[in-house]
Amino acid sequence: MERLSAKRALYPLMSVFTGIVVLVVGLILAKREYGMIYLGGVWLLLLLFGYYKACLAVIPFAAVTAGIFCAVTYALSRDVQSTLSAAARILAVCVAVIAGMGIRPSALISNLSTLRAPRSITLGMMIAVGFFPLLMRETKQIREAMRTRGAGSMLRPTVFYRAFLLPLVIRLVNISDTLSLSVETRGFLIGDKNYTVYKKTVFGIKDGVFAVIFTLGTVLAVIFL
Amino acid sequence: MSAVKLKNVRFTYEGQKSAALDGVDFTLEYGELALLSGVSGSGKSTLMNIICGIIPQVVKGRLDGEVYVDGKSVKGETMNSICRKVGVVLQNSDAQIIQDRVEAEIAFGAENLGMPPERIKESVDNACERMQLDKNAFTRTLSGGQKQRLIAAAVLAMRQKILILDEPLANLDAKGARMLMESLSRLAECGYAVMVIEHRLDAVMHYADRVWHLENAQLYTVKDKYAYLSSRALNLKDSVGKILGQGNAFSLENVKYAVRKKEILRGIDLDIPMGGRTLITGENGCGKTTLTRIIARLVKPTSGEMRQYISPKSKRANARWFADVGVVYQNPDYQLFMPTVKSEVLFGARDKNYALELAERFCVTHLFDRHPHSLSEGQKRLVGVCAVLATRPKVLLLDEPTVGQDYGGLERMVGIINGIHVQTGNTLITVTHDKRCADALCDTAAIVSDGVISDIGGKEKARVFMDRNIS
Repeated sequence: MERLSAKRALYPLMSVFTGIVVLVVGLILAKREYGMIYLGGVWLLLLLFGYYKACLAVIPFAAVTAGIFCAVTYALSRDVQSTLSAAARILAVCVAVIAGMGIRPSALISNLSTLRAPRSITLGMMIAVGFFPLLMRETKQIREAMRTRGAGSMLRPTVFYRAFLLPLVIRLVNISDTLSLSVETRGFLIGDKNYTVYKKTVFGIKDGVFAVIFTLGTVLAVIFL
Repeated sequence: MSAVKLKNVRFTYEGQKSAALDGVDFTLEYGELALLSGVSGSGKSTLMNIICGIIPQVVKGRLDGEVYVDGKSVKGETMNSICRKVGVVLQNSDAQIIQDRVEAEIAFGAENLGMPPERIKESVDNACERMQLDKNAFTRTLSGGQKQRLIAAAVLAMRQKILILDEPLANLDAKGARMLMESLSRLAECGYAVMVIEHRLDAVMHYADRVWHLENAQLYTVKDKYAYLSSRALNLKDSVGKILGQGNAFSLENVKYAVRKKEILRGIDLDIPMGGRTLITGENGCGKTTLTRIIARLVKPTSGEMRQYISPKSKRANARWFADVGVVYQNPDYQLFMPTVKSEVLFGARDKNYALELAERFCVTHLFDRHPHSLSEGQKRLVGVCAVLATRPKVLLLDEPTVGQDYGGLERMVGIINGIHVQTGNTLITVTHDKRCADALCDTAAIVSDGVISDIGGKEKARVFMDRNIS
């Protein structure tokens, strides 16, 4: 996901908010004849504001999923308008996720820290973000280690289960123990209000311009489309 | 005023009868770099945990005696408040990283201490320069040694005047170890109190102002540090002559390996002689572990060819292949999974009697009824090597077998491995940056640098490389 992030992403919380608005408005406008123009406009706006990687990455998924849904809807209803509405709903979801895909999770966490969100939430998010890559790395490592001990075959399920599950649990417990100790010994304290934020996330001119265009566009779309 | 003072400290872990530390008196002064040494499991980390409050606040047990940090008793103080005065570098750096970027990771501790952003920036830049880290790098792309340097940098950036580092050199190559020790030495000269817990005495001794030795729960001051060093950190002598079979066991031709766009190996040409002992060494992140994974057929090279002559008909790296090619991981936790040490050693063994005989040589028979994961790190490593050797592999691949090993444990392990090599004529491939055992496990040395073999030859090549990087 990281490789899809924008180099200079928008204000993270605004990105998340944009995604929610696009989803809601996109679904409302899905039944209208020109509803897709709104989605196209938002896609273009995000493309121009640096989210081009995510904008381009979403196209194949959107095309395939919308194609399948259109085919199913048309086969069931034989109605062109219903088919277009189904496509618009899928596209609304796809355009809504672009804004989220374009921001790094750490930028969102930093944004929340800047706004003095509770540290238990920001640290929890930080650890959660890192957990899945860690789990994947550990799983891969353990699968390799199982092979080296001749325990990689699923034809021996009891051995397979032991050789996979035991090291995985031991590793995860060890890692979480070490991590919690490390965080505490590095001065982290839940409820501490005297911490600083090294790099604050600020709402810049670019964010303001985007917010104005997006809000105006959305309001006009709701009124006129 | 001493930075740290322990008076008659005695600690017994919950559920244990004997004390881990008994009647320990210890002082660490400002402006001093102290080394704490001792065999695996002697209680070095216990001592550190007492100073920084992990004991008794997290790890429970009975603690008697007095502990002072920066002149004040730590009784009743929280671990968090103690650690605002004492910077602690724990073992296992890989598990401690929470941020996605180097800069954010280093800044994390300083943020927690409430440092102003401009001071954090200065600290981050200094720490990155000291530890030669790119502050914009993603943490997940760092090698083991770089991660270790990162965690050390993260603690240095917090600027506590008292620093305690638990095996900070474990995954560092000679250059990285020297870099860290020089930084710590400079800090001690500037008035910091630094304590390093380490097995690699040769890399630390030169910088140490005072040396402590822990044994049988007692702490002693070492009077003559160089006599102590020479008794515990001599390079192990090679007691085995060259035993070469015919031809090569492996032959690598222009082997390349890349992950996404990052090239890890950039064209390796290497012949590994059958029945010989090949030592692969190089700096952190140079591609040593990737090279061994390719040799073990755990991964395929992106391009180039790796030919093996161990089991010419073997097309896949299946259980039969790994019975012939034993791989010992750097971290034994991954390879131990049976309910007892005995079943672990017997798992996959072709000849049960041979496996039991091997267990005796490794001195692990008294642990037979124990769960492998209940053992100390040093014992786990011995059991891991023993279990792999019990399958009578034609090739033994060892990845950093000396990490966390005290001198006695290292000497015993190298002796057994060499003994089995003489007895069976197996092909031994060792990846290490530990100078102490390089000579004793080497007929042919291959130096990996920046993804290629930069030098190859006899054991003198390894000696020259390690001497150049350590002195």
